[in-house]
Amino acid sequence: MDRANIRKAIKDPHKWGEKYSLWVTYFCTGCGIMEIPPTITARWDAERFGVKPMATPRQANLFLITGYVSIKTLKAIIISYEQMPNPKYTVAFGSCPIDGGLYYTSYNTINHLDRYLPVDGWIAGCMPRPEAIFIAVTKLWKMIEGGMVDGYKRYEENIDYYRRNQERVLGREFIESSPAPMTEEP
Amino acid sequence: MSTFMRVVWIVTLPVIALLISVLFLGLFRKITARIQRRYGPPVYQPVIDLTKLLTQHSNISHGVMFDMGLIIALAGSVVTVLLIPAGGIHPLSSSGDLLVIIYVMLIPVLGMALAAGDSGNPNASLGVSRKLILGLGYEVPFLLVLLTVMTHGETTSLVNVVQMQADSILSWGVFRFPLSAIATFLILPVMLGIHPFDIVGAPQEISSGPQVEFGGKYLALATIEQALQLFIVIALFVDLFLGGAANLGTFFLKMLGVFLIGIFIGAVYPRFRIDQALRYCWKWPTLFALAGLILVMIIGG
Repeated sequence: MDRANIRKAIKDPHKWGEKYSLWVTYFCTGCGIMEIPPTITARWDAERFGVKPMATPRQANLFLITGYVSIKTLKAIIISYEQMPNPKYTVAFGSCPIDGGLYYTSYNTINHLDRYLPVDGWIAGCMPRPEAIFIAVTKLWKMIEGGMVDGYKRYEENIDYYRRNQERVLGREFIESSPAPMTEEP
Repeated sequence: MSTFMRVVWIVTLPVIALLISVLFLGLFRKITARIQRRYGPPVYQPVIDLTKLLTQHSNISHGVMFDMGLIIALAGSVVTVLLIPAGGIHPLSSSGDLLVIIYVMLIPVLGMALAAGDSGNPNASLGVSRKLILGLGYEVPFLLVLLTVMTHGETTSLVNVVQMQADSILSWGVFRFPLSAIATFLILPVMLGIHPFDIVGAPQEISSGPQVEFGGKYLALATIEQALQLFIVIALFVDLFLGGAANLGTFFLKMLGVFLIGIFIGAVYPRFRIDQALRYCWKWPTLFALAGLILVMIIGG
């Protein structure tokens, strides 16, 4: 952790800020949210890493998809994701967003999250322990350092692919009602 | 004070105030964490957060007032900082500045209300209405306290109020009108907006209230504005009751003392409802302030 490295911080303040100030969308997407209260409170204390839950997607830059994603939740997830300011990161938490997990045969959940949203990292397990979130955060730091987290850029580049998949499960009306995601400012 | 020095201080004082208040924000998070037996973020965490917010791409604006409201709020805060004597530095103060402060302190609230109102989010409107109700609550005892101070010193200048307390510790406001000092201390967490009175931006109830639609640079400006509010309220308390200070160092130490007590209260309390807060404001602080005013009027200066 080079958080206190002043020379590096002044050289690239953008990266310094992005790395050590990850604000998480406070949004219960599934049963995995049960692991978040111990993570952010006194037992595990995520705030020492700069990770802080925020109340609205507009203020956040890290989206934890905690647990299975039902079709109804997917709508809310997509709306919230498109409201977050760039650069933003998505981490899928638990085995359900990876391949459906326990709900693989359910008629009402989606099985592969990365067909509908760009996912920057996965935390496997059912449920992953709070320590796994910290491992994910440190991995995310390394990826931000190397410039490897480009989920939001991929989303803008391949918007047709994502919209097509979203339309398949959410229907035509949802796609027509949602505006095009904003493009990167110059 | 020469004109040149005045201009220099007008430029530097807001920056100093900002540095102090950002340090306070960091201390607030660290000390709260230690009280709750957490390790907590580093003290410079707000600097990291502000850096991130300022470099983020803001993806939406909800209209002209959404942009301008924040600027109005920030400008109001900066002007208020310039009006309050901080350790012998008072670039904008003149004879009636205590009266001006009462009015100027409302501009940041109105600016935030305009910006939040233009976003059209119901949570933002809820937050604004809560802020105005809370303002109604603490303005009553606060105005009574200011009236006591003005009656006692027969002056409307904050610089004169500070000068009157310069002789010894016993001439500090807290010993001259203790009842008013108690009243102000009781409404201090309300004015600072910390626990148990962080009703306005309650994240779990109304999604951080007026700031619900702010992201990126907007949130950075809102955070800076809030940090300056922290400075204004504590500096006003130090000037009114703790004798101000002759230099910036002593002033900072006195502010730190007041702020630490505020943290200790804030870290252990949950949140009041808005009606409980209003009832609290109009009960004990108002009673103490009124008693202090009557006492000063009977005994005289």
